[in-house]
Amino acid sequence: MLRDVAAQIAQVLAVLLLSPLLQGFILRYEERAQRSCGPSLLQPYRDLRKLFRKQLVVPATASWVFWTAPVVAFTAMLTVPILIPVLTNYPLPLSDMGDILGGGLILTLGTFFVNLAALDSGSAYGGIGASRTVMITILAEPTLILVFVGITLMAHAMLPFVVNHLLVAEPAIYWGPTHLFLVAAFFVLLLAETDRLPIHSSTHIEVYMIEEARVLEYSGPLLALLKWSGMMKQFILYTIFCHVLLLPWGLSKLGTAMGLAGAVLAILIKFGVVACAVIGVETAQSRLRFYRYQEPLAAAFMLAVLAIVANQIR
Amino acid sequence: MLADHLDPMAASLFSLLVIASLLLAFVMLGSRWLKDYMLAFAAQSWLIGILSALIGYYGGYRELYWVAGFTVLFRGIVLPWLILRILRRLNTARELHEVLSTSTSLVIGAAAVIFALVVAMRITKDLGITSNVVVLALTVMFSMKLIGFLMLTLRHEAISQILGILVLENGIFLGTQILVPGMPLMIELVLLFDLLVAVACFGVLVRYLLTHIGSTSSRDLRRLTG
Repeated sequence: MLRDVAAQIAQVLAVLLLSPLLQGFILRYEERAQRSCGPSLLQPYRDLRKLFRKQLVVPATASWVFWTAPVVAFTAMLTVPILIPVLTNYPLPLSDMGDILGGGLILTLGTFFVNLAALDSGSAYGGIGASRTVMITILAEPTLILVFVGITLMAHAMLPFVVNHLLVAEPAIYWGPTHLFLVAAFFVLLLAETDRLPIHSSTHIEVYMIEEARVLEYSGPLLALLKWSGMMKQFILYTIFCHVLLLPWGLSKLGTAMGLAGAVLAILIKFGVVACAVIGVETAQSRLRFYRYQEPLAAAFMLAVLAIVANQIR
Repeated sequence: MLADHLDPMAASLFSLLVIASLLLAFVMLGSRWLKDYMLAFAAQSWLIGILSALIGYYGGYRELYWVAGFTVLFRGIVLPWLILRILRRLNTARELHEVLSTSTSLVIGAAAVIFALVVAMRITKDLGITSNVVVLALTVMFSMKLIGFLMLTLRHEAISQILGILVLENGIFLGTQILVPGMPLMIELVLLFDLLVAVACFGVLVRYLLTHIGSTSSRDLRRLTG
């Protein structure tokens, strides 16, 4: 029991501490793929440390929402790792608080609060950022729900652990059309939700600014919390993609210290592979116009529908 | 029949490859760029090659490995390369005039798939076949044929018409691989060389059209001359 609690804490700590490394890996090797030098792998950690030491400036128009949003976003990202298989392939204490839909709800709660905070300070950029984020969410959410429905129909359960076990145990289901089309649909969602091209919302160019416009009013430690929660969201989505869909192997079965260390090592390899695929897409793909954002998401929607149809005629 | 007693792994792999080929046919139907058609066709041929190899593996047909190799070599590499050579000589990279818009043709393609599904269900019901893989293979075969016909009728460029024929042929090939595996190797080879000759003839035709008319669009060919 005590070991399970320790493993649960290790899950949350793994997400907390490894997420800047993932961001650093993607930023560095994307630059490398494009024949430039790239920042250090540890640059996101240094950025966070710098931001935590900076002075906090709060706009005069800000209300309590401005203060709570980063904390809520950060807390939400600390809660989701409890629900999903990050290091162990069996449920740990409190893992049964919510299923896949519950995890999705908490992930979206953070986004929702940051949107509120963007509107709260009353700046023009905040409004633009919030409205654009909501538009992308409206386009992405039906696909996400359909992917969840597809997973549920495939595994007859809404718990991520059950899906993980099923995919490891049954290669016929793993290589079936249902599962692989769900993987393809979720990959598009992963690109859209983690600020990668073809949408790439966290750029500093004003015309394209989405993610960046929402947090434009923040500075110092609060900005650090927001950035960190963004990186953790990316890490959590990679975890769901790898451990529930694409690469369900290499998790700790007993929860021993050795097993957890092995799982961390496996995470480094697996996420490296997925990050390389993401870097490939980022290098090959150019940014879409704002009014063409629905195209990749519509394709993902179609793939999810196809997966469900393939599951029904199996 | 092979498809009657498949193990679950084989069934899921076959249906994955079959559905992915259908998806690539839709990519061709939805795109306007000639090069995209060609790439999608090449990818589709690779999938069909892998499918024949898998059928050979699971059904124990030794000669299907040869068929798979030839399919990948000719349909996946040589034909796209020949078409690429023709494309380089052309001055058009995309369809300029369309009979129907992209989205409309996609919707018609979807309707064709539904029609194919109904026909396939009817046929398998009459024959008393219960295997879902057979229904799927029949559906995809019919719908790829219909999509090939659609591409032939809705597109004007000579290149898209070649690719329409090739998609049609790929559909038939995919269907036969699953439904009646173990056709004599000779017939498969004849089919492959048939395609090669067709594309070579089209290459000559395109060159002729370019020197005498200056365009390969069938919109400009309205008058019969002796």
